Amino acid sequence: MKPNFLIILALTPIFMAVLFCREALALQTHGGAEGVVVHQFAHFQYLGALGYLLWDIRRSSFSGIGWIYLQRFCWLMMIWNGIAFIGHFAQVALPDGSISTEDGYLSALLLLPFSFGKWVYYITALDHLLCTPALFFLFLAMRSFYRSLDVPKKEQT
Amino acid sequence: MTGLSLFPAILLDIIGSAANIILSFLAWRYARLLAKRQPDNFVWGYLHYVTFAIAAFATSRAVGHLVKQFLFMADRADIWAAISAYSGGFNSLFMISVAAVMIFYHKGVQAYEALEHEAGKLKTANLDLAGAARQLRDLNQNLEQKVEERTEELSQSEKKFRHLFSASKDMVFFSDADNRVVDMNDSGFEMLGYSREETSALQLADIFVDPTYIETFAKRLTEDGYIKDLNVDLACKDGKVISVLLSATAIIGEKGEILGSEVIAKDLTRLKMMMEQLASSEKMASVGQIAAGVAHEINTPLGIILGYSQLLMDDVQEDSDAYQSLQVIERQTKASRKIVADLLKFSRQSGSTREEVDLNEILADVVAVTEHTLGLSNIAIHRQFANGLPRVDGDPEKLRQVFVNLINNAHHAMQDQGGGELLLRTRINSGDVMVEIRDSGHGIPEKHLAKIFDPFFTTKPVGQGTGLGLSVSYGIIHENGGTIEVESPVHDQDQGPIPGTLFRIRLPPSGTGKQQQMENRSGIPA
Repeated sequence: MKPNFLIILALTPIFMAVLFCREALALQTHGGAEGVVVHQFAHFQYLGALGYLLWDIRRSSFSGIGWIYLQRFCWLMMIWNGIAFIGHFAQVALPDGSISTEDGYLSALLLLPFSFGKWVYYITALDHLLCTPALFFLFLAMRSFYRSLDVPKKEQT
Repeated sequence: MTGLSLFPAILLDIIGSAANIILSFLAWRYARLLAKRQPDNFVWGYLHYVTFAIAAFATSRAVGHLVKQFLFMADRADIWAAISAYSGGFNSLFMISVAAVMIFYHKGVQAYEALEHEAGKLKTANLDLAGAARQLRDLNQNLEQKVEERTEELSQSEKKFRHLFSASKDMVFFSDADNRVVDMNDSGFEMLGYSREETSALQLADIFVDPTYIETFAKRLTEDGYIKDLNVDLACKDGKVISVLLSATAIIGEKGEILGSEVIAKDLTRLKMMMEQLASSEKMASVGQIAAGVAHEINTPLGIILGYSQLLMDDVQEDSDAYQSLQVIERQTKASRKIVADLLKFSRQSGSTREEVDLNEILADVVAVTEHTLGLSNIAIHRQFANGLPRVDGDPEKLRQVFVNLINNAHHAMQDQGGGELLLRTRINSGDVMVEIRDSGHGIPEKHLAKIFDPFFTTKPVGQGTGLGLSVSYGIIHENGGTIEVESPVHDQDQGPIPGTLFRIRLPPSGTGKQQQMENRSGIPA
């Protein structure tokens, strides 16, 4: 199991890089938007993996609160992936000069007038409202699994 | 307002990133503990890898965000521009890794399920095996319990029959096909006088008085398989013969051959003696009847003979031969009348008085008279007179005569052997007064025991006894409503049979014996 996992881990970025190369030269260059594209694909892959995990958990009919927390993690993280995916596009599509940092970084403003793209950018910038609760549910899930190991003993006592 | 503040987004980014690091590591920590607690559980192992990858991704991303925010706040966007590609690259790398680990989960779960399935089958097989083992164990335990119960039942049964065998008052023994006694109970040894050690050498031929009975015994066992109520005489070790009623069952082998026999023998010696005594009593009653008739018939001519002989004596000279002849006639006639009188006493035709008498006093009187004579013959007298002995109804003179007769007999029995001991004992037994007169003489042969109360039966030389002493005593005791029994040799409870003779007289106490007396009167005719 472990060698396969490591092989996949190692080969996935290479596979992705090869898949999305633009010029068939001996030594390929990776300029421009390649980084964003790869990152977006990674989000997409992550979303797909979470969806698969969610489907498999539900299919397996695992019982217990830990699995419910894990499902919530999957849902939130999938949504986050979607938000982040959109947010990256929104960030790329944001026109130059849309943000003013004249009064300092902490006083940065998303300048008027507001367009749909700007709203999307602003909302997606708050993505921690999804990924942090998602990780909180992941923590709850793991803790529940761990505590569930002692339940039979408590019942016995 | 010229625009919307991005401060909330910046602040949320900083706080969320820090929280993400903490939460992801906490999740990984619990997943690691799970994997450690149950290292064989694939699911926990999988979650451990997933949470580890998520923690790595969260850290990479959060660190990148924090660095970015702090560089921007420090107005060093140029640095961020230089490193942002690396941060983004790491983020992508770890995100892809997280996705890869999650996808890998499917194969892992499949393998796990396959393992679980196999383990389930093994578990089922194990459960079946455990069930079979449990059934086998239960069966074993039941078997052990049943064997234990059966053994206990057998033990109880063996104990019961062993007790029946050993505690039986009848003789019980087993013999083999060669008529050898292989086992015998204690009553059997007691009856025959052998010890248990002598059993191995004991043959039926040794104990059957009549050898022809062995043939009968074997023949009936072979023909019928059992013997019921065979009356045989058995020889004791000391030569004494006992009469037994024998029942036996053949022990048959698998091929139908006789392996031996189980024998039960009931001692009938005492019963036989009692029957003989009963027959003797009946005979005595007949003899008494005849004696009474004869005595009456003879008494009259004897009186006439005596009267006429005395009259004639007056008519002849005293120094003449005729006078002397008449004296002989008179003397012999008187002797004859004495015999007739004794016969009448035996048949209770003679007159008697009845009063309440103390047997201790009568015995003491008799001993006082005979003690001197007995002393001359080296006979020691032992008196064991019970205090408070009830009085009995009877003729004191006749009872005195009974005791004189018995003591004289004892004297004669011990005189020949140069002395002995005479025990006189009175006691109360079952409400009756019991007098026992026991001597240590030569005893009475068994063949004579049934005849000693017969009139004219005597073992003394001719002319030394009329044979009427015990007959008269018998008649007197019966006249007084009592019984007289003889035992020779004497069966002592402690010492067993000892030589000598014991006369046991039982008389009812005063006032209670009249009914019985009347009944006895009707037994021996007047």
